Amino acid sequence: MKDGHYIKLTAVYFFAGLVMIYASYILPKWLPGDFVTAMYSDSNVTLTVEQEAQIRACCTGKEGLSRYLINLLSLKWGYSYALLTPVSDLILEALPWTLLLFGGAHAASMLLGFIFGVEAAWRRGGWVEKISVGCMTIIEGVPEICTGVVLLIIFALFLGWFPASGGETAYAVQSTVNRILDVGHHLVLPLVTLVLAYFPGNFLLTRGSMVMVLKEQFVQTARAKGLPPARVRYAHAARNALLPMFTRFGLRIAFMVTGVLVVETIYSYPGMGTLLFKAIGVRDLPLIQGIVLFSSLAVLFVNLAMEFLYGMIDPRVRYAH
Amino acid sequence: MHISFRHELGRDPWFITGIVLACILFFLIVLGPYLTSYDPDDISFSPLSPPSEEHWLGINDGGMDILSELLYGMRNTAGFGLLAGVFALFIGVSVGLIAAWFSGLPDQIAMRLADVILAVPSVMILIMTAALFRPSPFMLALIFSFMSWPTTAKVIRSHALVVKNRLHIQAARQAGASGAYIIARHLLPELFPLYVIGFAAKARMAMFMEASLAFLGLFDPSRKSLGIMISYAIKYYYMDIWWNWLLPPVIVLTLLTMAVTFLAVSLEKVFDPRLTAS
Repeated sequence: MKDGHYIKLTAVYFFAGLVMIYASYILPKWLPGDFVTAMYSDSNVTLTVEQEAQIRACCTGKEGLSRYLINLLSLKWGYSYALLTPVSDLILEALPWTLLLFGGAHAASMLLGFIFGVEAAWRRGGWVEKISVGCMTIIEGVPEICTGVVLLIIFALFLGWFPASGGETAYAVQSTVNRILDVGHHLVLPLVTLVLAYFPGNFLLTRGSMVMVLKEQFVQTARAKGLPPARVRYAHAARNALLPMFTRFGLRIAFMVTGVLVVETIYSYPGMGTLLFKAIGVRDLPLIQGIVLFSSLAVLFVNLAMEFLYGMIDPRVRYAH
Repeated sequence: MHISFRHELGRDPWFITGIVLACILFFLIVLGPYLTSYDPDDISFSPLSPPSEEHWLGINDGGMDILSELLYGMRNTAGFGLLAGVFALFIGVSVGLIAAWFSGLPDQIAMRLADVILAVPSVMILIMTAALFRPSPFMLALIFSFMSWPTTAKVIRSHALVVKNRLHIQAARQAGASGAYIIARHLLPELFPLYVIGFAAKARMAMFMEASLAFLGLFDPSRKSLGIMISYAIKYYYMDIWWNWLLPPVIVLTLLTMAVTFLAVSLEKVFDPRLTAS
């Protein structure tokens, strides 16, 4: 039965991936007109018939689905209209920054949310717990745009502690250590914004499930055995409270991707969000399409990996299906 | 589900804060156009002038009154959220109830479809359609709800499956009631609290999406929205306009999502039997 569950899961994700690829193939074909008309019809450049035919042959994707798939696999995602660079180069250049920001924010918020959630549930009913739950519920209601803007005004504009934009100091020739520090310095504000957005949810969720787990009998047994409280909390109870955080990940990811896009744009962080923002600004369709497809497939892949991981952490999932 | 929840809600500080906030915002949204004497598209004022007697929040870079922009933008953002929330709720409830009632093949199809849609990141679909076709906000709200019904449908389905096997529904069946009658008369009203929670969650997400997409420049730039206001104002953040131009849309957007979040949190707390029991 165990394999059946994973096969079904993989099939669902595979199908979702196909839907995304097909959508990105078919949607531009439904557009009225084409790139050449859009670019040159209202500009001062007048094209001769041959020139127009040449550009059209080079820029308009008239390839069939099979050709499109082969191009997709061989990283030939077309050229950006505005930057005249291969889309794959642009994406791969921006990807490390986004991974650094998103991965860092995600790891930090999960770890913090988990530890604080467990501790809060342990101290259930105390005033520290009540205040922290209240604060977290309030922060949970604040969208990333707002935290981002407020942090920008306070820490970049007034206090000047952190740079307001960019991923590192441009054109600076630095030693490796200084460069890492520089990147870290630029990372602080966007990272904190994202952590503030993700952390409360993780905290509230862990606390909620931990409160449930603490009522179970095995926790009482562990306590009765005379184990140190920290061991009861983490080795026995918290492992069971970890699971909802993983299930939630898949449901929240659309939300989180939007958050990254917005936060990167606010701080002009050189990742995929800023790239997308610029591409939208000049209606650079191949680039928009490339980013959308690439990030959706990445999200699908991460989600699927999460499902497998989930089964590994929780034996109940493995045997239930 | 027939607990007297009114009393419990009345004592919950989150609910009170949320409902007060929501009422104030609703008042501003409904009466918005009457509260300002300026047309938000009027560009005849002197750009970037600071707040004054006539213009409480000053003028933006395009020569428009910021206060009236704010009131109209709020209307659009909240309207998008409510519309998308209603659509998503409608689809989710219908699919969930139908899947639960008929089970078997319709259930299988609906739930596998829900899995696929859940797996696809909806914001990417929204960005792609918005960038390619520049649809109206109404269309985008529809697309958003098509991408976000599965969570509601799954919750409704699992609760409906429990209710479906209760005695009174079996009695109704024995009495010869049709499926449509039982769904409309029994299942639909009995799951009411779940709709409110689902609606609040969806509306909140939709408002957040609207602001983010507008901020990224995916809506018609002449349409007023809190996200667009922020994206214009943030270009000038280093100037002295941050408190009268940048901050107001930020605060209003925060209050909007906060009101909905508080309501959702308190409703969930009161209606979710697992949490109330603890």
